[in-house]
Amino acid sequence: MSTHPILDPTRALPFPQAALPVLRNPQLRKNIAHATDVIEAKRDKLVAEKTDWQQLRSAASAIRAHTLENLAFYLEQFESRCTAAGGQVHWAADAAEARQIILDLLRRENATEVIKIKTMTSAEIELNPALEAAGVAVFETDLAELILQLGDDQPSHIVAPALHVNRSQVREIFVRRMGLANLSDDPEALTAAARIWLRRKFLTVPTAIGGANFLIAETGSAVVVESEGNGRMCLTLPRTMITVAGIEKILPRFQDLEVMLQVLARSATGERMNPYTSLWTGVTPGDGPERFHVVLLDNQRSSILGRPTERQTLKCIRCAACINTCPVYRQTGGHAYGSVYPGPIGAILTPQLMRMRHAQSLPYASSLCGACYEVCPVKINIPEVLIDLRAQIVDQQREQPYRLFDPMYLGMKIANLLFARTWRFRAAQRLGRIGLRWFTANDGWIHSLPGLGAKWTQTRDLRGLPAQTFRDWWAARAPHSDQPSGKEAQ
Amino acid sequence: MRASLFITCYNDTLFPETGRAVVRLLERLGVALDFLPQQTCCGQMHANTGFRGEAFSQAERFVRLYRDAETIVIPSSSCVAMIREQYAGLFEELGNNDLREDFAALLPRVYELSEFLIDRLGVEDVGACFPHRVTYHASCHGLRALHLGDRPYRLLAKVRGLRQASLPNIDRCCGFGGTFSIKNADVSSAMLASKLQDVVSTSAEYCTALDNSCLMHLGGAMHRQSLPIKTIHLAEILAATETQPVEARA
Amino acid sequence: MTAPSSSRQQILDRIRAATQLTTHESAPVKVAPETNLPRTYIHHGQLTAQARIALLTERLREYDAELVECTPQAISSTIAAQLAATGKHSFVAPHGLPAEWLVPGFQWTIDHSLSHAEIEQTEGVVTGAYCAVADSGTIVLHHSAAEGRRVLTLLPDWHLCILRASQVVETFPEYIDRCPQPPALATYISGPSATADIEMTRIKGVHGPRFLHVILVRDES
Repeated sequence: MSTHPILDPTRALPFPQAALPVLRNPQLRKNIAHATDVIEAKRDKLVAEKTDWQQLRSAASAIRAHTLENLAFYLEQFESRCTAAGGQVHWAADAAEARQIILDLLRRENATEVIKIKTMTSAEIELNPALEAAGVAVFETDLAELILQLGDDQPSHIVAPALHVNRSQVREIFVRRMGLANLSDDPEALTAAARIWLRRKFLTVPTAIGGANFLIAETGSAVVVESEGNGRMCLTLPRTMITVAGIEKILPRFQDLEVMLQVLARSATGERMNPYTSLWTGVTPGDGPERFHVVLLDNQRSSILGRPTERQTLKCIRCAACINTCPVYRQTGGHAYGSVYPGPIGAILTPQLMRMRHAQSLPYASSLCGACYEVCPVKINIPEVLIDLRAQIVDQQREQPYRLFDPMYLGMKIANLLFARTWRFRAAQRLGRIGLRWFTANDGWIHSLPGLGAKWTQTRDLRGLPAQTFRDWWAARAPHSDQPSGKEAQ
Repeated sequence: MRASLFITCYNDTLFPETGRAVVRLLERLGVALDFLPQQTCCGQMHANTGFRGEAFSQAERFVRLYRDAETIVIPSSSCVAMIREQYAGLFEELGNNDLREDFAALLPRVYELSEFLIDRLGVEDVGACFPHRVTYHASCHGLRALHLGDRPYRLLAKVRGLRQASLPNIDRCCGFGGTFSIKNADVSSAMLASKLQDVVSTSAEYCTALDNSCLMHLGGAMHRQSLPIKTIHLAEILAATETQPVEARA
Repeated sequence: MTAPSSSRQQILDRIRAATQLTTHESAPVKVAPETNLPRTYIHHGQLTAQARIALLTERLREYDAELVECTPQAISSTIAAQLAATGKHSFVAPHGLPAEWLVPGFQWTIDHSLSHAEIEQTEGVVTGAYCAVADSGTIVLHHSAAEGRRVLTLLPDWHLCILRASQVVETFPEYIDRCPQPPALATYISGPSATADIEMTRIKGVHGPRFLHVILVRDES
C-alpha cells in the first residue's frame, strides 16, 4: 500500500532499464516530445520578450540562496506570524511524521473525505495511500491528477503530470469512471465533464489538503500558484485547510513575490502570469476556512542544506523548465526516473532525499549538456550537482568488495593508470590498435564489439584505429628546435 | 607567436588527421607550434563519471606539464570546458597552494581552437578553401560552457567555396555525453536519431564541429546507416586549401 | 501556538548546524539577515497612462476577457449595458459595492454572509478591484468590502470587475510598491481559469468564472 513501484525509488528499475518501455513506444515518445516542445517554445518566446530576464534570474537566485543561508530565522519568523494570524504550524522531521500529523488532524475533524490540490510534496511523503488505509477517501481536484487517479496511473511531469496521456485515453478513462454515456474526446468536452464532476466535491467536502508554492516569512502567508481554479476552491470553501510544504518553500518578504511570480509563470507554463494566484494569512473570520494548518516538512532537506555543492538543489521552485528542455527527458518521459520528481531536478533531488542509498542511476541519466542550468530561473547549476553526486556514488563503490567485477569501474581505474605515465599511454595506444584490428572490417570500420563496446556498436560503427597516432606523426616530422631532445619521456 | 598543442587523448589515438590539420593550419598562420610528448589526458572522462581523485591526478599532471607554456591550444571544446569549469574545484579540494597558483596563472593561456584563431590571432579568414555544403553542429560544451557564440560561423563564412546550411534545433544535445553513450546507450541512441534527422534535413555533404567526440557519435551512426553525409572537424576544413584539400575520409 | 515539539527543535538544530549557526537553548541566536540583494530588474514601467491602458486591454483580450471603457459619469449605464448583454438576471454583489453600481432591472443579492448554496443560485458577480497590472493583464483583489469575500469571485460563472484607470500600473513591482502593507488576503487573476493538461491544448474555464468582463473607468484628469 505504498507508492506504485514505478515511482518508488526504493523499488524502481535503474534508469537505463526503466527508460526502455518508452523508448520502444512511438506513441508515448510522440506525446512527450510534442508536449515538451510546446511548453518550451512558449517559454522561450516570453523569455525573449522579457528584457530584464537575466536580472530577474539573478535576483531570484540570490533571494533563494539568501533564504537557505538563513533558513532557521525565516522559518521561525513564518511560524510566529502565521500563528499570530490564527494558523497552526506543525513540524515533521520525515515523511512518516508528516503523514501521522495529517492523519491526527483528520481524526480531530472526523474527516472521512478530503479534496486535494496537487502538491508534489504529498506525493513525496506518499500521503494518499496512508489516508486511504486509514479510511479517508481522497479526491484529487487538479485535472491531470484526476485523470491519473481515475486511470490508476502515475504522474510523469511535475507541472503537467498527465502529459503522457492523450485525449482519447482521457475520454476512455472518464467514460469508464464517471459513468458517462456520450462523451467526445474533444478537450473542451472532457474539461467540462471534469468541471461538473468536481464541483459536487468542492461544495460538500469540508476538509482540504494542499501544498504551497511559497510561504512568506514576513507575513506568515501562504501562496498557491495555479491555472485551473481547483486550488481556489479547496482553499476557500472547506472548513479546514491543511497545507504541507517543504521547509525550503520559505520566501523572506511579500516584495519577493515580484521576482518569483514573474519567473515562475514564464518558466512553468510559458505565460506572463498564470490564471490564479492565491495568498492567504492564517485564518480570516468569515472568509475561507475556519482552521488552517501548515505542516513543515524536513525529510532530508536539512541534510542537503549542509552540503556546499548540493545546497542549491533546495533553491528549486518546481517550475519544471529543466524538465521541458531536457533532451534526455524528451526521449524517455518521466516514469523512467522512478520518482515523483523526474527530469534534471529529479536526478539531483531524489538520490539526496534517499540519502544516496537509492536512485543511484539517476545522476548518470544525463549527458551533462547544461540546457537545464541555462533555463533554471533560480540558476541551479544542475550539471555541477550531478557530477558531485556521481563522485559520491563512486566513493561509495570504492568501499564495495565486488567493485573490480564492474567493468566500468575496472576500466576507469585502468585508464587512470595508463594516463599517469607517457610510456603506459603509448603502450595502450599500440595494444589497442593491435587488439581492435580483430574487429575491424575490410572497409576500415568496426561494426561490432564485445562487452561494454557492444553498447557503442549497437547503433554506431567505430572507425578502425589509424595506423599512426598523432604523437608518432609529430615525432617523425623534421625536428624542431623547441622539441625536448633526449629527455626521457616519463 | 608560440603555442603548445594539447592534442587530447582521443584525438591523438582516434583522429590524428585533426591534429595534423591543426598543425598545418597554425603553421600556415605563422604560429611556432610545439608538442609536449608527456601529455596524456585532461581528466574529463574521470571527473564526469565521478572518479574525482583520479581526475585530480590527471589535472595536476596537466598543470605541471604546461606551467611554463606561453599559450596552449586545444582542438576540443569539452576538454577546455573541463579545465575552465572543474580544475579549480579539484585543486581547491585536493591540491595545495602552489598548484592552485600555477593553475590560476595558466588558465588565461588556455584556448580552444576557434578562440585561439579569433581572439588571440585576430583572424577570421585563414586562407581556406572547401567547396562543399556544410552544416555546423554546436557541441554543448562549446555552446554553453565556452560561449563560443558566432566564432565558428565567422570562420566558416570566410572559407572559399563553402556553403553553410544551418542545423535545426542547434542547441539540442546529440546524446554523446562521454560515458553516457555507454551507460545509457539506448537513450543516447534515441537522442542521436533525433539529431540525425536534423542533420539529414540540411542536405549537407559534411557535418562539422569543434569536437570529434560528438562527430564520432554522429559519424558512427551515419556510417552504420550508409548515409551520404561525412563528419569532419572544423580544423580540417580550415586547413584545407585549393592545393591541399582535406585528407581522404574512410 | 503548537507547543515546541522535539521535531521542531531537531529540525531547527539541524538547519542551524547545516548553515553553521549555533543554537543555545537559553539565548537562541536570531540573525538579522542581510537584505541587500541584487534587484536590477525593471521596477517602473515606461509607458504613458494611455499606453498602459492599451496594454492592459490587449492582455485581457488575449485571455478572451472583455474590456470596455467609460467615463466616470457613465459607470451605471455601462454596467447596465454589460449586464443586459449577458441575458442573465440574478447577480451577487459584495456588501461594500457602491450603491450606484447596483443598477435597476436586475435581481441583486448583497453578500451579508451568504451561504455557498445561495451564491450558487446567482448567475454572476460584480466587484471592484485593488489594482491591475498591465504587463501581465492581472487583476488584483485584496477582498476589501467593495471587492468581496473570495467565494464571491469563485462560484459564479460570470464576473464583472470595475476598475479605475488610476488603479492600473504597468509592472508587478509597481503594484507591490502601492501596497502600504502586505495584504492578508489576495487573489491575482490573469484571465479565466485554464488547463493545458490534455495534450497541452489550452482549454478555458475549468473552475471559477468562465467569463471575465472589465469596465475601465477613465478617471484621469
